[in-house]
Amino acid sequence: MAIPGIVFLIVFKYIPLAGAVIAFQDFSVFKGFTDSPWVGFKHFETLIDHPDFARVFGNTLMLGFLKLALVFPVPVLLALMINEIRKSALKKGVQTALYIPHFLSWVIVSGIVFDFFSLSGLFNIVIGWFGYDPTLVMQESGYFRIVYVITAIWRDAGWGTVVYMAAISAIDPQLYESAMIDGASKTRQIRHITFPLLLPTVLVLFLLEIGNFLDLGFDHVFNLLTPMTYSVGDILDTYVFRTGIQQAQYSFATAVGLFQSVIGFILVFVFNKLSKKVSDGGLW
Amino acid sequence: MVTVFETRSEKAFVSTITVILILLSVVALIPLLSVIATSLSSKSAVDMNLVTLWPKQFTLDSWSYIVDRPDLWRSFALTLVTTVVGTVLALLLTALLAYPLSKSKNEFRWGAVLMIGVVIAMIFKAPIVPYFLTVREIGLYDNPLVLIVPHLLNPFNLIIMRTFFKQFSKELEEAAFLEGCGYFRMLFQFVLPLSKAVLATLALFYGVVLWNQFQHPLLFLQNPDWFPLQIKIRQFITDDNVIMSGAVSTADLNYNERTLRATTVLFAIIPIIAVYPFLQKYFVKGAMIGSVKG
Repeated sequence: MAIPGIVFLIVFKYIPLAGAVIAFQDFSVFKGFTDSPWVGFKHFETLIDHPDFARVFGNTLMLGFLKLALVFPVPVLLALMINEIRKSALKKGVQTALYIPHFLSWVIVSGIVFDFFSLSGLFNIVIGWFGYDPTLVMQESGYFRIVYVITAIWRDAGWGTVVYMAAISAIDPQLYESAMIDGASKTRQIRHITFPLLLPTVLVLFLLEIGNFLDLGFDHVFNLLTPMTYSVGDILDTYVFRTGIQQAQYSFATAVGLFQSVIGFILVFVFNKLSKKVSDGGLW
Repeated sequence: MVTVFETRSEKAFVSTITVILILLSVVALIPLLSVIATSLSSKSAVDMNLVTLWPKQFTLDSWSYIVDRPDLWRSFALTLVTTVVGTVLALLLTALLAYPLSKSKNEFRWGAVLMIGVVIAMIFKAPIVPYFLTVREIGLYDNPLVLIVPHLLNPFNLIIMRTFFKQFSKELEEAAFLEGCGYFRMLFQFVLPLSKAVLATLALFYGVVLWNQFQHPLLFLQNPDWFPLQIKIRQFITDDNVIMSGAVSTADLNYNERTLRATTVLFAIIPIIAVYPFLQKYFVKGAMIGSVKG
């Protein structure tokens, strides 16, 4: 009974994972995984010296950092706020409005964004009212990062509250009752009950997010990129796609991908250790 | 006096938050409203920067043009079929592995080892190039089956289903086994019919991935006949030649590239908005099961 599933895991997960060894070979399609010559760390050395790599890696770090600093906290705040709404119909309406964008693909989201920022789009009409000249936001590298952050929030922050809402609903109501008897105000209840009890969940999700630090979402970035924003928007994922798939530099692009995975793994490992030191929480 | 003051300020606090959230929800919907307005406005109104959140010089010309594009409907039908077939097959494959994994060591000796294998598959993501080479090697390059087969098992969903199966009582199963019922019959006649909640949730998770998939067709499909909806939409919104290719060459068209792009985007959103209200509770339930485990 388990065999079809095991075969699937081997073919689609384990063979590609093992295939990462081509990062240490000069892989050729005709010779395959087994007969391609081994070259050690050659591709990693090329990579470190490559001028493209510094730029692409820098872009990835920058966007990863912005995502962590500006996108990650939003669902926590939203969940704390949604939790305070009393009328359940209103609560549901707000939640629905904030969840829906999550189910739109990045192709669609980018379609909406490009329309919004087009020359005759809403954005340029509104800044025109205030006397500003029209700007092609999507074609200027200076705006790419902020557009990335805003779209990340717009699409996923609402959905991100689901986990936190579940954690909040698990808090013992007696805590609030006794706090109210002691005369604690709403803000104090949030500060001293809800937030501290939510913190372990925040920590676990933060660790998972750290592990995905360099994983910015291929679909997201690829669909927002234009030739004019490559200088800031070209990231490891899009670079690997271009060099590895389109230009068929298989071994080199695998080295880039492997580098990315190893950094991700080290980050999770280090932050897991740290979080165990400062609190009891951790991933393992 | 103090308590009165407290409740009053608390009321103000709660209503401030409520107002902020309502404003945020409205702001979140503004880009959508703007796209709707554009798709229902005439070319000249759009060109003169008249259209903001409400259609100007209302017309359905963009819509009738988009709805008349056979290539778009072809992609739509293809995506619908691959999503439905893929979801059913994915649930089947996931259940076939999740059921043995939910068994204790006495019943399924290799369960623990296999479970570690699943977790490793979940944590370590293979670099995209060896993945590409492997999938091409097994014959899925430029093959529409690539829209289904690689999505049939997600380790995360597998763990959710396994957790759900674990709750079924052993006594019931033992009684059934004494009656001569095998594991396959057990799964299909007893376990799955009692698992509708988790099946619905996972069907939605698989369905959304299949419907929205972009990277797989981008990597593996060359033949435009097999382009799924997302790739088609991407072509429409990035390539004016593709989107205008069906236009009759008269000067007085009532649409332009921009109104057509807006209409295309909405064409793809409508199915999602249409099914969303029926499915919301399963989405939320599923995300919660996932969060407890993850």
